Amino acid sequence: MTNMKNHLRKLVCAVAIAGTAGASMSSFAADCPIPGNLRVVIGSTSTGGDTYQNSSIVADHLAKKLDINAKVDAVGAMAGFRALDRSRNGNTVMIFHDQAYLGNLYGVKGYDNIFEKYTVGPTVAINPGNAYLVPKDSPYQNIDDVIAAAGEGKEIRVAIQPGGVSEIGFSALKNAVKIEHPGKEGNVVAVNTGSQADKNQLLFDDMADVINGSVQANEQYTRLPADDQKAMRFVWLTARNDTIKQTNEEGMGKTSQKDLLQYVNPNVTVPQDDSQNFTFDKEFFFLYNKDMDPKAVECIDNALEEIYAEGSIQEQQKKSFFIPNFKPSSEAQAYLEDKRDQYKTIIENIK
Amino acid sequence: MESQFLSLFEVSIAFEESHLFFPRIVTWVLLGLFALIVLIKAKKVTPALRRAGQAVMHGNEGFDRKRFFGTIFLIVIYFYLMAVVGNVFPNTGYGFLFVSIPFIFVLSVLYVEEKTKKNLLVIAINAVVAPVLAWYVLSQLFRITLP
Amino acid sequence: MEFLSYLSPMFFVLIVAGALVGVIFGAIPGMTATMAVAVCLPLTYALDLTNGLALLLGLYVGGISGGMVPAVLLNIPGTPSSITTTFDGYPMAKKGEGERALKISIVASLFGGLFSAGVLFYFAPLLADFAIKFSYVEKFLIIFLALTVIASLTKNMLMGIFSGVLGVWLSLIGTYEITDGGNGETRLMFDFMEYYLVSGFSLLPVLIGIFGITTILQDAEKGFKGDAASPTIKLTTGSRFSFNVFKGQLTNLVRSSSIGTFVGMLPGVGGSAASVLAYTQEKNFSRDSSQMGNGAPQGLVASESSNNALTGGALVPLLSLGIPGDSTTAILIGAFTLQGIQVGPLFIGDNLDTWYIMIAALVLANLVMFGIMFFAIRYIAKVIEVPKHILYPIIVMMCVVGAYAINYGIMFDVWTLLIFGVFGYIATKVGIELVPLIIGFILGGSAEVYFVKSLESYGTLTVFFTKSPIAVFLWALIVLSLAFSIYIRLRARKKESLASYS
Repeated sequence: MTNMKNHLRKLVCAVAIAGTAGASMSSFAADCPIPGNLRVVIGSTSTGGDTYQNSSIVADHLAKKLDINAKVDAVGAMAGFRALDRSRNGNTVMIFHDQAYLGNLYGVKGYDNIFEKYTVGPTVAINPGNAYLVPKDSPYQNIDDVIAAAGEGKEIRVAIQPGGVSEIGFSALKNAVKIEHPGKEGNVVAVNTGSQADKNQLLFDDMADVINGSVQANEQYTRLPADDQKAMRFVWLTARNDTIKQTNEEGMGKTSQKDLLQYVNPNVTVPQDDSQNFTFDKEFFFLYNKDMDPKAVECIDNALEEIYAEGSIQEQQKKSFFIPNFKPSSEAQAYLEDKRDQYKTIIENIK
Repeated sequence: MESQFLSLFEVSIAFEESHLFFPRIVTWVLLGLFALIVLIKAKKVTPALRRAGQAVMHGNEGFDRKRFFGTIFLIVIYFYLMAVVGNVFPNTGYGFLFVSIPFIFVLSVLYVEEKTKKNLLVIAINAVVAPVLAWYVLSQLFRITLP
Repeated sequence: MEFLSYLSPMFFVLIVAGALVGVIFGAIPGMTATMAVAVCLPLTYALDLTNGLALLLGLYVGGISGGMVPAVLLNIPGTPSSITTTFDGYPMAKKGEGERALKISIVASLFGGLFSAGVLFYFAPLLADFAIKFSYVEKFLIIFLALTVIASLTKNMLMGIFSGVLGVWLSLIGTYEITDGGNGETRLMFDFMEYYLVSGFSLLPVLIGIFGITTILQDAEKGFKGDAASPTIKLTTGSRFSFNVFKGQLTNLVRSSSIGTFVGMLPGVGGSAASVLAYTQEKNFSRDSSQMGNGAPQGLVASESSNNALTGGALVPLLSLGIPGDSTTAILIGAFTLQGIQVGPLFIGDNLDTWYIMIAALVLANLVMFGIMFFAIRYIAKVIEVPKHILYPIIVMMCVVGAYAINYGIMFDVWTLLIFGVFGYIATKVGIELVPLIIGFILGGSAEVYFVKSLESYGTLTVFFTKSPIAVFLWALIVLSLAFSIYIRLRARKKESLASYS
């Protein structure tokens, strides 16, 4: 009988705790309509990947600042968009990266135009690591060699994951070949594959000449001795020069920031059009339901502004090889839309 | 001659159509096997169907219609209401908590053979304690997302 | 031995806590090792690398091991890789040997875990170089081999194969994911279903639906009257556990652990293939396999030693290539990067201390898991003495939690439970075999990717035979395994007809 009483007591406690947790509103600002339990969905299903890591850093800071609970759920792109569609009252927000609009540009099923369907929120960080690599014993010393070889009629097989961030560098490369050697762009062919493991494997099997990879995942491969089948070499990092300059000086692993800069524009040039070279920064940003209260949008903007002004988030991001990059909603919208339009031109140009 | 023979095995898959390549093969194999089974077991099919139909319609011996369909019905209601209540209290897990309690109670009552006072008391306690415990530990301590 | 200075009392506490929580997660139908690691990952932000790894590896080993509990006691595999544990574990439990079955499984798990940790420690870089010899073609053949073993697990060969192919077919519903290198198009559905089926059916809800909900429906049909109402299983009426069971099992242990370690090493093949392969290899090659499927300890030994050997195996590519071997180790990468540690081919050399710590943690986690489970099992096994009218509603509830949580909150996954529960119920009525079906379902997705990608790369079917000596060897295994299963079937039939004459 005492046992039962205990159970009951616990139950009452639990319900009481739950009640107060649900009722506690943010003390950040009186007119800040952010729910006490915020769900942050992300466009990736991996809890080991960069999107999850970056999102959980941001969500944690946001939760502390607004005095709410924020939980990151790795539901993936399709389920994430759906959750966002349903959440008119802003209980669910999404953090995703350039894939959100690139998927639409490449015509992948299920990717709508985010600029029309959702409210684009603030950008928070860049992953500067998007890279292209060749085997260490490859005849191609740099990306110019690759472009030249394609111009001479050699087939260049590039292993990528189709339909997004991994493909945009490939498209730019193809576009560059078209600019420098018109009519030869067909020599750059995509080998469509999935994970980084599969891309590496294609290189080991000699089924690809160039692979898409990342500084984080492939840096150690570039340090292997040349006679190792697994040895690779960076030929191109798509990030902007300014972005790489913001990394910690140690860079990644034993490859310093100075080393990394060798593979970035303008040391490596992939022409985009007559006037500029192609660069691509993988940027993480918020997406909201179109009907979400503008006050809530503003509130998150303000909270993030304060968080970035305090400065501790930057340290944490840099430790995990992210570049802090806060832009409030309005600025981010215009900026990302312009970015989208540039890539749209490239993709249409090589169709 | 040899190269001609080898060319029989050549396959080229257009990327735009590649999502259909393997499913088509599997579908054909499946249909082939199905046809084979029907051919071999044709005689057994009709009587078996009749027996199953009778069992469902008339609840012959060994088929407890009330408990069987009751289970399915309760599960459907359970899943449906969970989402509905969950939307009223988003991101709290209350949908799970509040709907699990009556569900466990009713399903236990449906299953229990002797509705003695003691049994019903145990069922009632279990129906409250189990969901609260699950909800508290998983949703509050481990922060697992619940409906 | 400098790394020893990193080991604090906290390190041991966290391993114990990790293993304990892991075992509990694994033991609840619907919760998995991956989930245990995922939900505890944020806790490691506050810990340093050593302690974080202690916790996560404890969870990993505990979670994989805990899966045996519902498999043996309830016939519901706690994790996909414990499917084969149900084959012999549940029949033993029905005979009143639940505790014995669990203890056999625990000892086998410990062996598998330690074996793979040893292999990891001594051979990791070497094995990684071997693993990269497996391209699309070889990986497809491994999966094909695992699929052909369905033949030796079925009661009726034709229906079994049909069930397996149906499982593959069901797994293809949805999108040919771009993350697998596909084109992102949907197939095998009508347009109006797209909203729900765009991601297809997820494995875990399908698995617990087919095993958990189906069982409940089958018992509901019988109405819980008389015998069915009270637990029919008495805990310890059968023979007791003794280590003598393991006499003559050394080959089985080593073979199954090797298979587990090796399959765990191959990214993208999927851990569930390991226990299926180990189980059927034991069935095909052991001297007497006639009792397998009716409660033979050797089946448990094969299944459990191989699935715990996955842990060490999956860490091989993680630590020597920077590539996760399974979904759980994928989360470990996150833990490393958060601590600013890079994984890749130079990881071991660059981080010798961390490497030793990991091995120590892995070995300790296995020992702790053994300690916890071996002595707690008597109480855990009491679950089956709980009356069904109490137990079943709780199982439904926990299945809901597992299904909803596996993809971080998708309601359709919960409905999948019911869809496949009802499907499993009807399927058994018409003679479809659920085990081949689920194996087909588990392996179907990767079979497609590796098959299509092989053809895209090489453009000819002959590559499956000529790609490499490994491919030829795998074909030999496939033929051998098929021949054995036919031989065993014929022998069993002969025995039967002899028996019916006498």
